[in-house]
Amino acid sequence: NIDPSSLLPKLPRPEELKPFPTVTSIEFRGHEGRVRSLAIDPTGMFLATGGDDGTVKLWELKSGKQMDSIKLSSDEPVDAVRWRPGKDASILSAAVSEDIYFLVPSYIDPELHQASRDVLDAGFGYATHSQQLMTASGARKDPPAKWTRPGTRLEDQGVLLKATVRSPIKVIHWHRRGDFFCTVSPSGQKSSVAIHTLSKHLTQIPFRKLPGLAQTAQFHPSRPLFFVATQRTIRCYDLQKQELVKALQPGARWISTFDIHPGGDNLVVGSYDRRLCWHDLELSNRPYKTMRFHPEAIRAVKFHRSFPLFADSSDDGSLQIFHGKVTNDLMADPTIVPLKTLKGHKVVNKLGVMDIDWHPTSPWVVSAGADGTCRLWT
Amino acid sequence: MAGMESQNLATEAQQVRVNFTSSEPDLQLPEGKSQLLVPGDIKRYGLSRVLNSGSMLNTSSPVPLDFLVNGTFLRGSLEDYLKENGLSFETTVTLQYVRSLIPPVYQGSFEHDDWITGIDVLSGGKQRLLTSSYDGLFRVWNASNQIIATSPSSSNGGHSAPVKAANFLSSSQIASAGMDRTIRLWKYTESDDFTGQLKPTLELYGHKGSIESMDIHTSSGRIVTASSDGGIGLWSTSKSSAPEAPASLLPGAGVNVSKKRKIASSAPQRGPLSIMQIHSSPASAAIFHPADSTVAYSASEDHTIRTMDLTTSLVVSTLTTAHPLMSLCSLPGISSALLAAGTTARHITLVDPRASATKTSVMTLRGHKNTVTSISASPENNYSLVSGSYDGTCRIWDLRSVRAGSKAEGGGSVSDAVYVIERESQRGKKRGDVPGRGCKVFGVVWDKQWGIVSGGEDKQVQINRGSGLLAN
Ligand SMILES: [Mg+2]
Repeated sequence: NIDPSSLLPKLPRPEELKPFPTVTSIEFRGHEGRVRSLAIDPTGMFLATGGDDGTVKLWELKSGKQMDSIKLSSDEPVDAVRWRPGKDASILSAAVSEDIYFLVPSYIDPELHQASRDVLDAGFGYATHSQQLMTASGARKDPPAKWTRPGTRLEDQGVLLKATVRSPIKVIHWHRRGDFFCTVSPSGQKSSVAIHTLSKHLTQIPFRKLPGLAQTAQFHPSRPLFFVATQRTIRCYDLQKQELVKALQPGARWISTFDIHPGGDNLVVGSYDRRLCWHDLELSNRPYKTMRFHPEAIRAVKFHRSFPLFADSSDDGSLQIFHGKVTNDLMADPTIVPLKTLKGHKVVNKLGVMDIDWHPTSPWVVSAGADGTCRLWT
Repeated sequence: MAGMESQNLATEAQQVRVNFTSSEPDLQLPEGKSQLLVPGDIKRYGLSRVLNSGSMLNTSSPVPLDFLVNGTFLRGSLEDYLKENGLSFETTVTLQYVRSLIPPVYQGSFEHDDWITGIDVLSGGKQRLLTSSYDGLFRVWNASNQIIATSPSSSNGGHSAPVKAANFLSSSQIASAGMDRTIRLWKYTESDDFTGQLKPTLELYGHKGSIESMDIHTSSGRIVTASSDGGIGLWSTSKSSAPEAPASLLPGAGVNVSKKRKIASSAPQRGPLSIMQIHSSPASAAIFHPADSTVAYSASEDHTIRTMDLTTSLVVSTLTTAHPLMSLCSLPGISSALLAAGTTARHITLVDPRASATKTSVMTLRGHKNTVTSISASPENNYSLVSGSYDGTCRIWDLRSVRAGSKAEGGGSVSDAVYVIERESQRGKKRGDVPGRGCKVFGVVWDKQWGIVSGGEDKQVQINRGSGLLAN
């Protein structure tokens, strides 16, 4: 491990690396109990949050005004909320136990509303068709997921589609094109990682022989690669060749989260054992740097999509903001500078900041707290 | 004698020579009285008393005075001023005295049902107040805190989403706009001082994003709007001169609009004169040039202020600032007209929009602790304004009071607020670590009759005194 303070003298000073978030601008209050997940929509206008109260809430990001609240479950938490990428439609996915719900916000314009419905409905025809084909072959097993309408009560609130897998989902991650997404069900044994095709309402289980329990997974931002984290290893698979490309060993005892740099050649990993590890994928399978800033578990790490910024969040109640700059020069090392510790969330029952997300275009970050609030930091 | 002289010397050593000046024609000192030795520990109140003494200003009743030293109001003692500025006690300090300010005292509140997004007022004849709200409605109030008209719900021809702005076009016409992307025009009539009626006259479609703010030009019958999709809209308030509405944006264009949102439309539907898709991030404000209705300005989260020629719908100039801009207001200014833009970086930047201007950033107003969401120019003079912020305050600024910005502030000319108006709704409440938690201000208007009227998250229209706050 490297003592972070020993890195500082050689590095640029934080003041020279502006802009980065420093203060809470908006507090989002309304959830009862922990907020487990949050995501800013592709336009940067709206925030979606999901929590222990079983609701998904939509907020106007810049004012903190709650626009909608949809109760997805009376007894189970919303574990993950993620927007489908792209501005051609506005679709939020939310995981509650084994179910993934898809909702279209009521506030969008009629054209976009219709386009969003079309994206969700396209697969109904396909599913019927494929089912007939498979039935005819006589070798059909139960599908890995059932795609259905969620019922009138939810449909009236814009929840138009539901997919049900076999084990509780903890992670949703979308491929950049907005058709594929993966879900991770850590307790799902052989079917813990599923890849879904929205346009076909199709669910596949490509990694049945994963060594260890899957924790989280992600698509590569530009290449047909797929990353799956078990407790100690992050494996990178080539989706076309269906083969293992590499296995990263961050040196953490229990990986909680990771994110891939938008450039595609670097990755940060956070762990329950408080480590933050930066991997240069072109270098070794061991981390380029390991940092320990937090006295408690790291829950989330995320790169900004356009600014050279990344952040992590921890059960100590804080977020740590970093400057993280990579170059195309193969010889040049990434520059990593800790910029600011953002404090404000209260720690409740040893849980702090559960999730974070960056604004798509501004150097702003949002955080979801076990204290029941979310914050916009600017 | 020697003893007395040394005593005098000791006293004089603590004294400071001051030179009084004033631009107030009725408050000039008699000849030879403008220079004086005063004790170094004297403050504003003492100086005011000295000047009001019989041998100085010979006024019938005392005139409370404030003192500007080097462009800034003297708040501490003269001694403090000299020390802070590294000046010797031998320095002659020039003090410009001005009539002392009457604070913007709290006058009253109107209770609202939901967060208030914006405020407009009618004064002159009838005094009316117009509030727009996140509940999807706007309301007309009389001067005695009574709602005299409420816009219809969406099922009765009203907005189907929060209303972000509502303005009087005249005492008998109102325009409203908001997150349902429409502008609605209404005929407004009153049976008496307690009952008003709203009749929808026109629905305008064209924006694909929420309409965040609008400005109206009554005599030309034009409206400009700023949308979260980055577009600036130009509209006609006349049914006959407005183009056809774009069919794809009309309600019901999406076949499956859910039943409860089905809209009973009774007013004609029209489209924009033009939509200028000019900002790469949400546009937060669009305003007409105060003297030329063929020119408009817009401000956006993309950091820019754009000047548009409305006859050609083209951008004629772009000013790029350092921060996302959330509000915009035109000011007469002291020497030339200025634009004041509120930022997410907690300050207001004053810019000179003229193409000929040598430097665009004229001054920065510092002191807010969160995003500046609304700005209104003083109705009484050309050098003051009020701003509202997410920090739960309105601040009053005097552009004549200027200091040099510190290094951390990025240098330049800086002005600090003269007054800070807190929310009455927060009196006695504990403050959290987030500035303005629970009481963000979204709209403020400074009107000659109404005073300073502000509203926001605390669901209160708050009225503060607005006259005589600043010296002439
Ligand atoms: Mg490299």
